[in-house]
Amino acid sequence: MPHRHSIFCILPPHMLEQIAQNGTEAQRNFAQQTISASRQARDLRRGRALNLAMRTAVRGMAAAGKSKQRAVYSAQFGTQLPGVLIRNEGDGPVADIGVNEAYEGSGATYDMYAVAFGRSSVDNNGMKLVSTVHYDKNYENAFWDGEQMVYGDGDEQLPASQQLFNRFTISLDVIGHELTHGVTQYEANLVYSNQQGALNEAISDIFGSLVKQYRMNQTAAEADWLIGAELLAPNVNGIALRSMKAPGTAYNDPVLGKDPQPAHMKDYVNTTDDEGGVHINSGIVNHAFYVTAVEIGGFAWEKAGQIWYRALTEKMTSTSNFQDAADMTFESAGELFGKNSLEQNAVKLGWSQVGITVKETGSTPDPTPTPVPAPNQGEGCMTVLLRAVGLVK
Amino acid sequence: MGRTISLNINLDDLPADQAADLRRLIDESDFINLDDAPLKKHTPDQFRYTITVDTGKFQHTVHTSDSSAPETLRPLLHDLLERTRTKERSG
Repeated sequence: MPHRHSIFCILPPHMLEQIAQNGTEAQRNFAQQTISASRQARDLRRGRALNLAMRTAVRGMAAAGKSKQRAVYSAQFGTQLPGVLIRNEGDGPVADIGVNEAYEGSGATYDMYAVAFGRSSVDNNGMKLVSTVHYDKNYENAFWDGEQMVYGDGDEQLPASQQLFNRFTISLDVIGHELTHGVTQYEANLVYSNQQGALNEAISDIFGSLVKQYRMNQTAAEADWLIGAELLAPNVNGIALRSMKAPGTAYNDPVLGKDPQPAHMKDYVNTTDDEGGVHINSGIVNHAFYVTAVEIGGFAWEKAGQIWYRALTEKMTSTSNFQDAADMTFESAGELFGKNSLEQNAVKLGWSQVGITVKETGSTPDPTPTPVPAPNQGEGCMTVLLRAVGLVK
Repeated sequence: MGRTISLNINLDDLPADQAADLRRLIDESDFINLDDAPLKKHTPDQFRYTITVDTGKFQHTVHTSDSSAPETLRPLLHDLLERTRTKERSG
């Protein structure tokens, strides 16, 4: 049991995290010990032990010595990036709520990765987190462009009766989702199509959800496991963009349609739309993670998250598919918590619930399902056919 | 969300002023000379667009995305997206 300092019971966790990132070496070391001890104490109160992987991650973060750097720009409803600088690291809140949300959300994502996983920013080398808000007009999306975050305003400018989406900075798990695409880019760099792309999407939903849970200090049982719950406008018949707990139930709306996500391999969607259904079939992997996290219990970033982070950063490659992910997370769980541990069996259970059996003695990946062309050849998000006689000069 | 949205427009079916606006946007985008190669880079969560202009004599298709769209094409993209939103919301 570490020596109890008088400051132990006074400093809130977020302040300790600031010291752990920005202090002198001695201050960082002390903060790390305090964070580790406070978590251990809390876990002991709850009857759970702090896992070795998390302690290792905290020590790793101290060694990294990099501090959080953020910058939020406005594209002023245009498309030039990054745009006009509005808020830099250390600046106080501004009048623009979207700017503040992007600033706080990228900070929350950085903090989770730093403290829970020992990772220094998206590239694990202190990369500055750049965000641009107010991208284009009525832009109903957010994305990571390979170097920075980009957020649209949804259709907040339309009359309430016509609105579908709020501004995309409103949802912390969406911010975490997009930044995690950057993490994946620097780690496994999963190809963004078919099963590999769906795995890429699921990893972003998994860690995006963990950012929210970490920020709110929620256990797996307390979390809502929804992605983008704040995004849908009030008159949309839905609760979120996606549900990891119950894929396929997030929305059923006259304009948006019905949530198309499957929760099991038997319902895998073979399509050429959406890069081979990357936002659709990710529901299968999302649900496997949800089952694993709830089965293990406690805070999902402490064990289930550590298993997946290890698999992502040390095992997955650009062509890893669902079976590979199952085998790699099963292997990771065994390495972190022991063969036939509760945690490893929880991983096995998660995958079995979605129709995938882990291969316990080496893996030979199953062939990726061959996509069947969709009846109406749509390759991208929008297909427009304009007919005009005598148009070309 | 993985939604695919399609919109077919026949200029002959539009009011004269709207048809003229669309023709102008297509002309100003220099659509016929834009690259027709498929997109190579798949950037996560960006919208991807496939736009085909068919004059009856020939057809030209452009594949683009939010970050790769030429500036000359963006006004046409905005117009088409606005029409798509209007169509969606009107049922």
